Formats: sequence, structure tokens, C-alpha cells
Amino acid sequence: MLKPQGTLIDLRPLAGNWPVDVVSGRSSQEAGRVSDLAAGLEDDAAANQTMARAAEQDWFRRESEELFPFHYYWDSPNEMKAYIEEEWEDFVHISDNVWKSARSLWTLGGAESRLRVRVNMLITRWEKVN
Amino acid sequence: MTLQKDPEQNEPKYLHRHADLAGKRVLEVGCGDGRLTWRYAGVARHVTGIDLDRDSLRVATIERGSDVEDKVAFAQADSVRLPLAGAAFECAILAWSF
Repeated sequence: MLKPQGTLIDLRPLAGNWPVDVVSGRSSQEAGRVSDLAAGLEDDAAANQTMARAAEQDWFRRESEELFPFHYYWDSPNEMKAYIEEEWEDFVHISDNVWKSARSLWTLGGAESRLRVRVNMLITRWEKVN
Repeated sequence: MTLQKDPEQNEPKYLHRHADLAGKRVLEVGCGDGRLTWRYAGVARHVTGIDLDRDSLRVATIERGSDVEDKVAFAQADSVRLPLAGAAFECAILAWSF
């Protein structure tokens, strides 16, 4: 399937209590952080174990690795809340305090304010050994 | 709902930094609606995108640009049971497959 010396790219978000920001123009203010739930942590651990085993078996060799931010933006707190509850309910939770803080900062920020979640992404390049 | 994902385009930037996809046959596992696929398909030789979600694949097919129409194919499948016997790829991308 993957040719010898072929490249495998593992690209995925890592749990890590992602920051919730309110962005207005070029400035941003952190309203708090999401709380990781067990499913996300377990997924990370399972993926890490799978790739570690592939390296131990000498199936793949790690060539490079890097973290980078992946941003989600919403126009309002309600839109962010609806998305998180529908798409991320198994992975993260946002406390009432963080919601209140995000709403307050968004209201103070004016019409151009947006909500942002900074997802921590991991990209790893593996080379197939044989 | 107004949602923007990665408007800074960090994801394709880092993908290209770590993988030379030019002229390669690429398998993307977990392609979803093709959001990432369209950002590198132009340089690849051919892309096969697989995902379990039929609705996402439908969106990906609808949004497929005419310039890459001939070199991108989608299939509903998971990585354990690939319906691609005999296919060989120079690069595989596990995209958000968590």
C-alpha cells in the first residue's frame, strides 16, 4: 500500500486545555481554557502508543515533528457554544466561568469581536523502513 | 453559523514543510469534506481520499475544483479495510484520525 521509503504524515490535534480567546482587530484576550475530557486524552495516548510501536518494530522511522496552532473562529459566543456542544462534546468542556468571561469580553469588544479556540496540532513525518 | 477554520492556513503550510507531495500518489485517511485535500491536491500526482462519513464525502465531491477533478478520488472506507487492493502510494496522510 505505502511504498518502501514512503512518507507517512500523522496530523492530529493534541489535547491540552486549548485557550479560548476573544479577538478584536489585531488584539486578543484569553477568556480561559477548555477542559480536556477523558476521550480526547485516551485518543492521544492510543495514537502515541500505535506510532511508538511502529517505530519499535522498525516499520517506520520518525523524520521530523512539530507543533503548530490551528484556529477556529466564531462570530458569537452562542455559535461557538453550539459548535462545541455538537462537535466536541466527547473531547472538551467549557466551564461556566470561561463562558461568562468569553461573553463579557466579546460584548466589550464591539461589533468586530470574534471568539477563537487555539487547537494545538501535532505533525509528524515518518518514513516507511521497508 | 459563521465558522472559520484555519484562516491563517497553518495546516497546509506545515504539511508542505514536512512532506514533499509534488508529483506523488497520496492517500489521505480521514479526508472529511476535503478541506485539507484541496490545499495540496494541485501539486500531487493523484490523491485518494477516504473517510467513513458519507455526507462529508458528498461535500468534498461537490467542492472538487475542475482543475483537480481528474486527479482526486474519494471513497467511503476506513483505514482498516481499504478497498484499494494493489494500489501503491508514495505518501499517506493520517488527517485528524483520532
